[in-house]
Amino acid sequence: MSDDLPAGPEPDMAAAELALGLLDGEERAAALRRVLAEPGFAGEVERWRFYLAQLFDLWPEAAPAGDVLARVERTIHGGRARPAWAWPAAAAGASAIAASLLVVLLFRPMPVMGPVQQPTVAARAAPMLVAAIVPSAKGDMVKAVYDPGSGMVRLTAASLAGAGKSAELWVIAGDGVPHSLGVLPKGEGMAMPVRQDMRPMMAAGSVLAVSIEPEGGSTTGAPTGPVVATGALSAV
Amino acid sequence: MAVSQNDARARLTEALIRTGDEDRAAFRDLYALTSAKLFGICLRICGERQAAEDVLHEVYLTVWRRAGAFEPGRASPITWLATIARNRAIDWRRANGRRPSLSMEHAAEIPDAAPLASETMEADEESHTLHHCLDGLEDRQRVAIRTAFFDGLTYAEIAERDSVPLGTMKSWVRRGLARLKECLDR
Repeated sequence: MSDDLPAGPEPDMAAAELALGLLDGEERAAALRRVLAEPGFAGEVERWRFYLAQLFDLWPEAAPAGDVLARVERTIHGGRARPAWAWPAAAAGASAIAASLLVVLLFRPMPVMGPVQQPTVAARAAPMLVAAIVPSAKGDMVKAVYDPGSGMVRLTAASLAGAGKSAELWVIAGDGVPHSLGVLPKGEGMAMPVRQDMRPMMAAGSVLAVSIEPEGGSTTGAPTGPVVATGALSAV
Repeated sequence: MAVSQNDARARLTEALIRTGDEDRAAFRDLYALTSAKLFGICLRICGERQAAEDVLHEVYLTVWRRAGAFEPGRASPITWLATIARNRAIDWRRANGRRPSLSMEHAAEIPDAAPLASETMEADEESHTLHHCLDGLEDRQRVAIRTAFFDGLTYAEIAERDSVPLGTMKSWVRRGLARLKECLDR
């Protein structure tokens, strides 16, 4: 039996593709939108993860260097040692739209939330990440820029939530689970720090999503309202 | 045999739950029980020891912080941990713009057959079914699916590595996944 000549349309295997990690860019963002919007699809992804997890049994073991545990314990219990890998210099190919977003954001003054220092625009080693968070219905696109050097994410003005509601920003990385970055203030641009333990999720290919939540944000730790805008982070 | 497997799983589950309560001794126990497996995952996907050790460091920090969210009824502890390691390693590779390691030879290092006793033990029958169903695929479909899983590669990366047009690769894999699903649902 040969599969060389496909008969009819290709099967929709997006749930399996997402669970395996085959997708990138817009295809991945689209599949993540479906996870948020379609419980049936989310269940299907979960089922594939469950099946595929059997393959972990086959994975060969390897002994790490003896000092890794000590390093982990130092980071947890004492000191504030940064992981050695941080974010190296290699900036991936910049797309024109990403670069233009960066220009828009870097040169637009914005209020800073909380006791954080202004990110510097000087030469830096780590690549900036940008995302165009596009509403699924009408409304303005929100542009986001993340600076791994300062750990700050900056966003343009958003008016996605109506009265009595809040727009909450989420990041979805490799685990496919939305993690809250915070509530967006109405009608103004902002800069906010990303929590230390969430910074590794702010990577090229991760998706930023905005959901509509009760005033003040979701109380469950997961989005409870509709996801109204999404966009993938890319390096510039 | 089955008893010792169950014992190992129970011990690991307990270590993970106690880690969720910030029990440092339990965390060390957890590390001793799982670091070789998780490092194997990081090493293969990152392709270099130093990076893999840095990612492993990140993985155990994540485990320390998130262990409280582990739900014993939903996943086996080793699956929960291995998934974090695989995701973190893939995030690292993509964030660093690394190209996947090139040799297909090292893909052969992963054994083909199911191990005699399943570590994940979600349900041994499921495991045999997955391996059995993978065996039923065409070679190129099975290889591509295994490559995606074990090397953390996207369609575009697998297509490039195998010098196959992207659309062709997607077609093969999609039909392979559809056949796999049919077999798994049986």
